[in-house]
Amino acid sequence: MSDFYQTGVITTLHRLGKPSLERIEGELLHFSRTRPVALVLPALYSEFEGPAMPKIVEELSKVKYLCEIVLVLDKASDKEFQKVREFMAPIPGDVKIIHNDGRRVMEIYDTFKRNGLSVGERGKGRSAWLAYGYVIANGKCDVIALHDCDIVNYSREMLARLCYPVANPNLDYVFCKGFYSRVTNKMHGRVTRLLVTPLIRSLQSLGGEHRFLKFIDSFRYPLAGEFAMSTDMARVNRIPWDWGLEVGSLAEVYRNYSPRRICQVDIADTYEHKHQVLSSEDPEKGLMKMTIDICKSIFRTLASEGIVFSDGFFKSLSVAYLRLAEDTIMKYEADAAINGLEFDRHEEAKAVESFARAIAMAAETFMKNPMGTPLIPNWNRVTSAIPGILDMLKKAVDEDNR
Amino acid sequence: MTKIVERQEIRTILDRVGSADIVVGIPSFNNARTIGHVVRAVQAGLAKYFPGHKAVLVNSDGGSRDGTMDVVRSTRIEDQAAILVHHRIDPVPVIATPYEGIPGKGSAFRAVFEISDALNAKACAVVDSDLRSITPEWVELLLKPVLREEADFVAPLYHRHKFDGTITNSIVYPLTRALYGRRVRQPIGGDFGFSGKLARFYLAKDVWGTDVARFGIDIWMTTTAVANGFTVSQSFLGAKIHDTKDPGADLSAMLYQVVNATFGLMETYPEVWKKAQGSEPVRTYGFQYAVGLEHVNVNVERMLGIFREGLRNLREIWIAVLGQGDFGEVEALGNTGDEAFHFPRGLWSRIIYDYALAYHQRRLPAEHLIKSLTPLYLGRTASFVLEMRDADQSGAEEEIERLCEEFEKNKEYLLNNWK
Amino acid sequence: MQDFLTLVLEPFREVFAGFKRFAPNMLAMLTILIGGLVFARIVRALLRKALTALSFDAWSDRMGFTVMMRKGDLWTKPAEAVVRVVFWFLVIFTIMIGLSALKVHAVNTLVAQFFLYLPRVLSAVLILVIGYVAAGFLSRTVLIALVNNGYHYAKVLAEAVRLLLIVLILAMALEQLQVAPNIVVAAFSIIFGGIVIALAIAFGAGGIEAARRIIEKGAAEKSEGKDDIQHL
Repeated sequence: MSDFYQTGVITTLHRLGKPSLERIEGELLHFSRTRPVALVLPALYSEFEGPAMPKIVEELSKVKYLCEIVLVLDKASDKEFQKVREFMAPIPGDVKIIHNDGRRVMEIYDTFKRNGLSVGERGKGRSAWLAYGYVIANGKCDVIALHDCDIVNYSREMLARLCYPVANPNLDYVFCKGFYSRVTNKMHGRVTRLLVTPLIRSLQSLGGEHRFLKFIDSFRYPLAGEFAMSTDMARVNRIPWDWGLEVGSLAEVYRNYSPRRICQVDIADTYEHKHQVLSSEDPEKGLMKMTIDICKSIFRTLASEGIVFSDGFFKSLSVAYLRLAEDTIMKYEADAAINGLEFDRHEEAKAVESFARAIAMAAETFMKNPMGTPLIPNWNRVTSAIPGILDMLKKAVDEDNR
Repeated sequence: MTKIVERQEIRTILDRVGSADIVVGIPSFNNARTIGHVVRAVQAGLAKYFPGHKAVLVNSDGGSRDGTMDVVRSTRIEDQAAILVHHRIDPVPVIATPYEGIPGKGSAFRAVFEISDALNAKACAVVDSDLRSITPEWVELLLKPVLREEADFVAPLYHRHKFDGTITNSIVYPLTRALYGRRVRQPIGGDFGFSGKLARFYLAKDVWGTDVARFGIDIWMTTTAVANGFTVSQSFLGAKIHDTKDPGADLSAMLYQVVNATFGLMETYPEVWKKAQGSEPVRTYGFQYAVGLEHVNVNVERMLGIFREGLRNLREIWIAVLGQGDFGEVEALGNTGDEAFHFPRGLWSRIIYDYALAYHQRRLPAEHLIKSLTPLYLGRTASFVLEMRDADQSGAEEEIERLCEEFEKNKEYLLNNWK
Repeated sequence: MQDFLTLVLEPFREVFAGFKRFAPNMLAMLTILIGGLVFARIVRALLRKALTALSFDAWSDRMGFTVMMRKGDLWTKPAEAVVRVVFWFLVIFTIMIGLSALKVHAVNTLVAQFFLYLPRVLSAVLILVIGYVAAGFLSRTVLIALVNNGYHYAKVLAEAVRLLLIVLILAMALEQLQVAPNIVVAAFSIIFGGIVIALAIAFGAGGIEAARRIIEKGAAEKSEGKDDIQHL
């Protein structure tokens, strides 16, 4: 249960009272006649062996308003692909599984490569992007929703609330991001709490007000992986394939649409998923790699907005960030105390130190190479380079699922 | 191919005339019914406005079987005094001859260019042989700017019914204006004035074995003049009323001819139109006055019927040309009722650019490609008619102006994708 | 006794003599086969290199050949497909030449037939390719023309045209290959006639309403007069 305070430049849709799931699903079924919804699920094979997936399949079996479900399966052998198909079989309706390592889809990736389109390395970004391509090729759906496959306490209410703002033709939102509190017996979501928000705010305090920073700061959970968007957006937005996916996608949304058409929605009271291990030593691993990618993505977006960075700026930034992050720890300590939650102040301080190092490393790579990793080109660009690509993709996926 | 001026009987006339200041050409094909009026108007115009100039009238005929050339040869102004204040002693020499080469208006004009070249003419004009509204003043308005050396090329400017000339208004004018940056309102008007220098320039171009010789000569002349830096102007001629010989003519064939010629020229002058930015008006001659126009029947329902039929049946082609995004918008139009139907200007301009790009990349055979534009064109025309039902002439003209701005705004899209 | 020995040895001698006569042929065949295979492999390697250097794959992606292959559920790279076809063609060619080197009468006629048949195969392939393109072109012409005149069922009719043409082309190709020519002609007549009659019946019986609508629409248009808008 939350308050009804509106933050920032985008719309916030709260969870007020006790909304009925039946009513919202009924309305969605009605909307889906004019605005059909596709659900995209990026998944690793390993997730099918975890605790989250059975529950997700069970819940999705009860959803009636979806026009298609596209699951992108990564890191799976042919045999495992077949297993996943059986696993997904209980879900009625149109379910397609994109076999990322199958020979047909591999050939599709090769087609991009030989035509000079860089779609990056494997990962959630690339998988989601390919799934959008399939949804576009099918041409059936006007709305695409996406969530991760590692949500332990998944409920189909999350999906319904996520889809609602974009599927409802009377609301005219093109993009809707989910948010939720990450609390069990303690507070999770450290990267958002202790990195992104303090970093954005210290950037604001150093460089002054900027519309993009304000935009990002408006999101209660900018790193949430759950969102819904219009299919048109999937055509024009470019997305990063690295860990900067969430922030980079928001940057593209910011670039292409007015904040009036963007919203965030409270999708769940609590949310649990698997946690990244913090490895402060090896920057290519886990959380550290993730934080560096996120910082780089923010710097790059700001640079493209015309902000000039210098060594001096980054030095001040480190100091400003550290002070702000320490203040933040104190705030959360109080928050934990009043709610009787566990709070390991030492762990939190260690995290802030790692994050500060990550910021420094990101700054260094950014100064060396300001262009950085390219985004995956948008689908409009891809189809103009290879006119038949959507047909090929559709054929590959349909044949795999035959 | 022999030049028409090398033919014996033409040679004889040319030798007798020697040289001329003005050549007026009238192309014809089975126009015996109307050409008399045109010849009289031209003769009166020459006598009235250019009594001191030596003029020759050329009828370049495509093998008419209804005695068109005889009508031309025998037409004289019976009572000169009734029309003219000045008296003119010698009548205008008339050359009426069948042209050579591929049958078509382009070949007819080529003969006019050759004769004007042989006579070393300073100024030329061409007028259509099916005009009912031509007056002697047209001759002055088309030739004066050239003789005064203020212009190399004079395009016509007419008042037409707000629903007439829709191919010009929704495709050719906005597209050529956005491409070449000159606001020539009637680039395919058919009645032009031009200098002897420009006639020679036209003649030297190696296009007379191509489609230009058959149709598309109008847009070719205008574009060639604009793209090669000739001074271009336009003259207000009043109303254009002509005898449509073939009312049942196939719209998609007409569209193919005009659009094919326009797209073809984009291939010839990419360096010119890529550089042009925005657009500027051209000098306009003539006193503009309001013209009473006949009522025009429009069957919007039928147009929308064909548009929806296209949506149902040409889906694959349209997706291949427009891409999923714009096709999605066109598809959404299919769901609106007749009254609420609205084909947005921006979408239309992108569609035309998409077709130009598809033509450039040869994604389909040209004829298939352009003919598949017909239902979209009818959709846009129906929308225009519905929106402008209660508008007056100037209201419709403003709407066309807004469409042109949309074309200019979206030109960047064309530039970025032209490879 | 001597006679008996001769009797026993004679067949051996004959077989040996026969082998002596045959051995050079055998050797020739093996040489041709090995040489041919080596040649085919060299050609394969060179072709592969050349097509890669020309980025043949990317080219056929843009030209739409790849899409055609993918639609037939063929997922090899276009260049690889070309390379394979050429390679196997060379292999078959080599085998045929090798067999003819054996100079065995039955095999020889087979080989001769093969080479006589080759031009027919080529022309059949040519007919198929040209026919396929032409059928697509004509059916699209019909489709666009019908749509632009506002007829219903444009797509159905265009597809019918394409179907008829493809049946015609297949029959022509088979006829060219001389696969049971009588049956092909008969089957073609039956199928072609069948489709035409089916269409006629479908349109006449099932589609009386539709037919009437089309005819009435045409008549109505003529009587009410089209719009007098001048498009040019």
